[in-house]
Amino acid sequence: MSEMLSGSTRLGFLVDSSRCLGCRSCQVACQQWNKLEAEQTTNKGSFQNPQELTPLLYNLIRFEESADAAGNVTWRFLSRRCMHCGDAGCLKVCPSPGALFRTKDGIVGYDKEKCISCKYCVSACPFNIPRYGSDEKVAKCNLCLDRLAAGMAPACAKACPTETLKFGVRSELVAKVKAAGKTVYAETELGGLGVVYAMEGKPEEYGLPAKPSIPLSIFLWKDVIKPLGILGFWGSIGAILLHYVTVGPKRIEDDHGDTGGTSHE
Amino acid sequence: MNKTIERFSTSQRVLHWCVTVSFFTLLLSGLGLFSRLFHGYFSLFGGGETAIIVHKIAGILFFGSSLCLFLAMRRDTTSFDSGDLTWFKSAGGYLTREEMTFDVGKFNPGQKIFSIFTAAATVILGITGAIIWAPLHYPRFIAQFSLMLHGLMFVCAIMFVLVHIYLGTIGNPGTLESMLWGNVRKNWARHHHPRWYREKVKGEG
Repeated sequence: MSEMLSGSTRLGFLVDSSRCLGCRSCQVACQQWNKLEAEQTTNKGSFQNPQELTPLLYNLIRFEESADAAGNVTWRFLSRRCMHCGDAGCLKVCPSPGALFRTKDGIVGYDKEKCISCKYCVSACPFNIPRYGSDEKVAKCNLCLDRLAAGMAPACAKACPTETLKFGVRSELVAKVKAAGKTVYAETELGGLGVVYAMEGKPEEYGLPAKPSIPLSIFLWKDVIKPLGILGFWGSIGAILLHYVTVGPKRIEDDHGDTGGTSHE
Repeated sequence: MNKTIERFSTSQRVLHWCVTVSFFTLLLSGLGLFSRLFHGYFSLFGGGETAIIVHKIAGILFFGSSLCLFLAMRRDTTSFDSGDLTWFKSAGGYLTREEMTFDVGKFNPGQKIFSIFTAAATVILGITGAIIWAPLHYPRFIAQFSLMLHGLMFVCAIMFVLVHIYLGTIGNPGTLESMLWGNVRKNWARHHHPRWYREKVKGEG
């Protein structure tokens, strides 16, 4: 999948957490543009609200607190959403062509009309992003494909007051992060993430896996069991045919004993 | 004198065909879910969403009928003896044209293994299928593992079934009758299942 992504046209999305104020304008703008109903939430003693992505919330600011040995507390804000992986687990398992798809710009979009509600994408996502609501259809960030088609930036990037979120050509965004002396999260893993995180610490400090990958079971199913299974099926057919024409069937004639001597096939 | 002998009762045959029909329904409705390569099979059911519904209903029928069939046959399929060992040693005589007879009972050890495998596969496919049915109710790693195991057991099952069909039809002429009208020729029984035949004839006498 990833080899189809051309470096010069693949669009990306920069998240520079060091600039983030945690204002959640992006959350609100996303819900507003995508016409997602507000949900009742509960206070869990953190600014993070709600605690996780929901079928009606495609992006979320995570508030990660950590303290070093001297007791200095760092508070990190991270915009969490679909990463638009170059090698996406959801696309790997989706059995309905077109329900999840990749645009020529490298964005992972979806079409609720074509979704058959199997929920395989929920299991296959390395980041646990896709959600299913009461309509039993996949829901996640699609980088506002409708806005992009009209030449506009995604709603969250448009709303961000600090330029934490920036939309553009992925390779340029990656170069910009590196020029600023920061590291890019998972630059090459999963075919490169469409969402370019500028990191100032370890991924774990932002609540992200250090080396994200397709879940092992999903890899085994799609890349081992499936090809071996198809091979095994045709191998069995071949072995049976070979047996039939070499050893042949076990014919039991009715030519003796108490059966009256009539010959059956 | 009657030239045939009853091998499977009417209820056993009906049960077996329930298993067969639900298995092939599961196969056709599930292929598209196993891989996008087989997406075309969804059209048999009018689309993926209905294929999933059919797969769930057929799954319940298969689970129930397959387990019932195993339980109905379990006395003859779950114990092995010395006659079975000789059968194993010469691969049931299937690797030679020479006529070989083994002193096996109602089922030969190959059939016994098929029966036990089918029961195990039914349970595993049933449990993993129930998890995939509503994956959001379980931790992600359980849903992921279930998807993998469901695919793996399907692949094993289809290969076992291919061999089962071959040996039950053209591989052993005279066998299919036992699943159609229930009786087999006595000579067939004497050659394939001598001990079962002796016991059966003694019982009749």
